[in-house]
Amino acid sequence: MSDDHDHAHDHDHVRTVKPMVDEITDFEVLEIALRELCIEKGLFTAEQHRHFTEFAEQIGPTPAARLVARSWLDPEFKSLVLTDPIVACREVGVDWLAPTGFGTPSDFVAFKVLENTPDVHHVIVCALCSCYPRPILGNSPEWYRTPNYRRRIVRWPRQVLSEFGLNLPDAVQVRVEDSNQKHRFMVMPMRPAGTDGWTEEQLTEIITRDCLIGVALPTPGVTTNVITRTRPAADPI
Amino acid sequence: GSQVVRNKHHRHAQGIGDPQVFTGRAGPARFAVGDPVVVRDLPAMYYTRTPEYVRGAAGVIADLAYESPAPEDETWADEDATPEWFYIVRFRQTELWGETYTGSDHDTLQTEIPERWLAAADR
Repeated sequence: MSDDHDHAHDHDHVRTVKPMVDEITDFEVLEIALRELCIEKGLFTAEQHRHFTEFAEQIGPTPAARLVARSWLDPEFKSLVLTDPIVACREVGVDWLAPTGFGTPSDFVAFKVLENTPDVHHVIVCALCSCYPRPILGNSPEWYRTPNYRRRIVRWPRQVLSEFGLNLPDAVQVRVEDSNQKHRFMVMPMRPAGTDGWTEEQLTEIITRDCLIGVALPTPGVTTNVITRTRPAADPI
Repeated sequence: GSQVVRNKHHRHAQGIGDPQVFTGRAGPARFAVGDPVVVRDLPAMYYTRTPEYVRGAAGVIADLAYESPAPEDETWADEDATPEWFYIVRFRQTELWGETYTGSDHDTLQTEIPERWLAAADR
């Protein structure tokens, strides 16, 4: 790929953007080729590409946490979240029709919030790929997309949750929700003890992304995602 | 660019959303919440979204989801496909994985299945 650089070029080096790194991977080469061809053929415009990239960069889990915190504080809002979640999302600044006017092509406009109770604990997965409620929860974590999580959570949910540090008593029904069609799901965890009198902002802080997937429970004082304990390498290099 | 064949989705779903754009086009739903169903084992050559782990399993309708063309048609951009009802079906984990399921007897799994994949079951 590198030594035969003396062949005839018919493209213009001056107009080619230089890579910002010394090495460019096959994936990057193909991404650029595909994007430039699509723009050349008018499948989408450079501006549309930028709009969609900026949409993808501004999404995150905060609106979802706020949705739950407000539900904990306002029973009327909570019933709206459970019966008409698309409308309720607008209250936390999320329009499921964005950015195209008909929703994102891969997340659709069918959203459901799964309410945990003392008897039922929900956890979400997309066993077929990585479907995730991106407009309200942001981009999915890397582990959520792995074949490992997708294969095991449907079959051994309690063992997988245990690896996340979440051990649930047998009396609690574990319900796995596999998002294999157009619905996207999110878990509404129960409000933990020790949060009496907390403001919406305080509650929002402890409702982490992992709580909304269902692999963690909100805990006073814990404002970051699960960090699983891994065994140190036996023979570190 | 204008010669490239495109689907109509970005126009007909504009301001409405998908699957809302298919509302009212599937006719009456064959199943209601609480109905017992069995997942049919249809041929799934090339594409399906009905997971293998629910084929032949008995479950209960937990929710009517929405109307939409089935993914088996939509994935090939079949714009004439008739929308059908989708259901959220609840399965007992012991039904899916039998005696080898290691969790609680009352653990469940829910997944969404289009009507064509479901058959009525005895209670």
